[in-house]
Amino acid sequence: MTDTMADRSLDELGPVDYVVVEFPAGATRFTGEMADELLALVDSGTVRVIDVLILRKNADGSVEATELADIDELGPLQAVEAQLAELLAADDVEHLAAAMDPGSTAGVLIWENLWAAPFASAARRSGGQLIADGRIPIQAIIASIEADEASTTEGD
Amino acid sequence: MRPARVGRVGVIGHPVAKTAVVAKAVTPGPAPVAKTAVVAAAVTPGRRRRI
Repeated sequence: MTDTMADRSLDELGPVDYVVVEFPAGATRFTGEMADELLALVDSGTVRVIDVLILRKNADGSVEATELADIDELGPLQAVEAQLAELLAADDVEHLAAAMDPGSTAGVLIWENLWAAPFASAARRSGGQLIADGRIPIQAIIASIEADEASTTEGD
Repeated sequence: MRPARVGRVGVIGHPVAKTAVVAKAVTPGPAPVAKTAVVAAAVTPGRRRRI
């Protein structure tokens, strides 16, 4: 892990999230757009990228992990690579790859939500404790609103 | 993968399951445009629940 992460007080650390973005075999269309959007988030101070791995799940289920540093011509992502903390361990690779289909490639991204750190610190200083968090799928929002509208229609 | 990752304690803790694939924010359906409007309305500032 880099000194960047170790030197900061744990109380100042923002929530850390991860995503696994799968690219099914034959369905990849890399244009650099993803890198541009990630760099925009980093440059604006919204997130700090902690770790990145590229996973390849073979047809037999075996998994190969590639470091960002092993990719030729990283371009602007070179700056991100230089700041990685390499948080993920080898067994994390197996755990994350469990969600992948054989033959697919996936990008794993671990990031700190810098935007949330000041609020989280303030909440802790105020005596608050995080007891739940999560993400609401957009499909759930649609279902909720549609059900709401349906009940309204019935009441007309 | 770098050798330093081997033997370390992981942070994920368990095999993860595939979530519902979200290829688009609003899935195609009978009225995708209407759904977009519905979601936009749901997250519009000032909307209040009716309880």
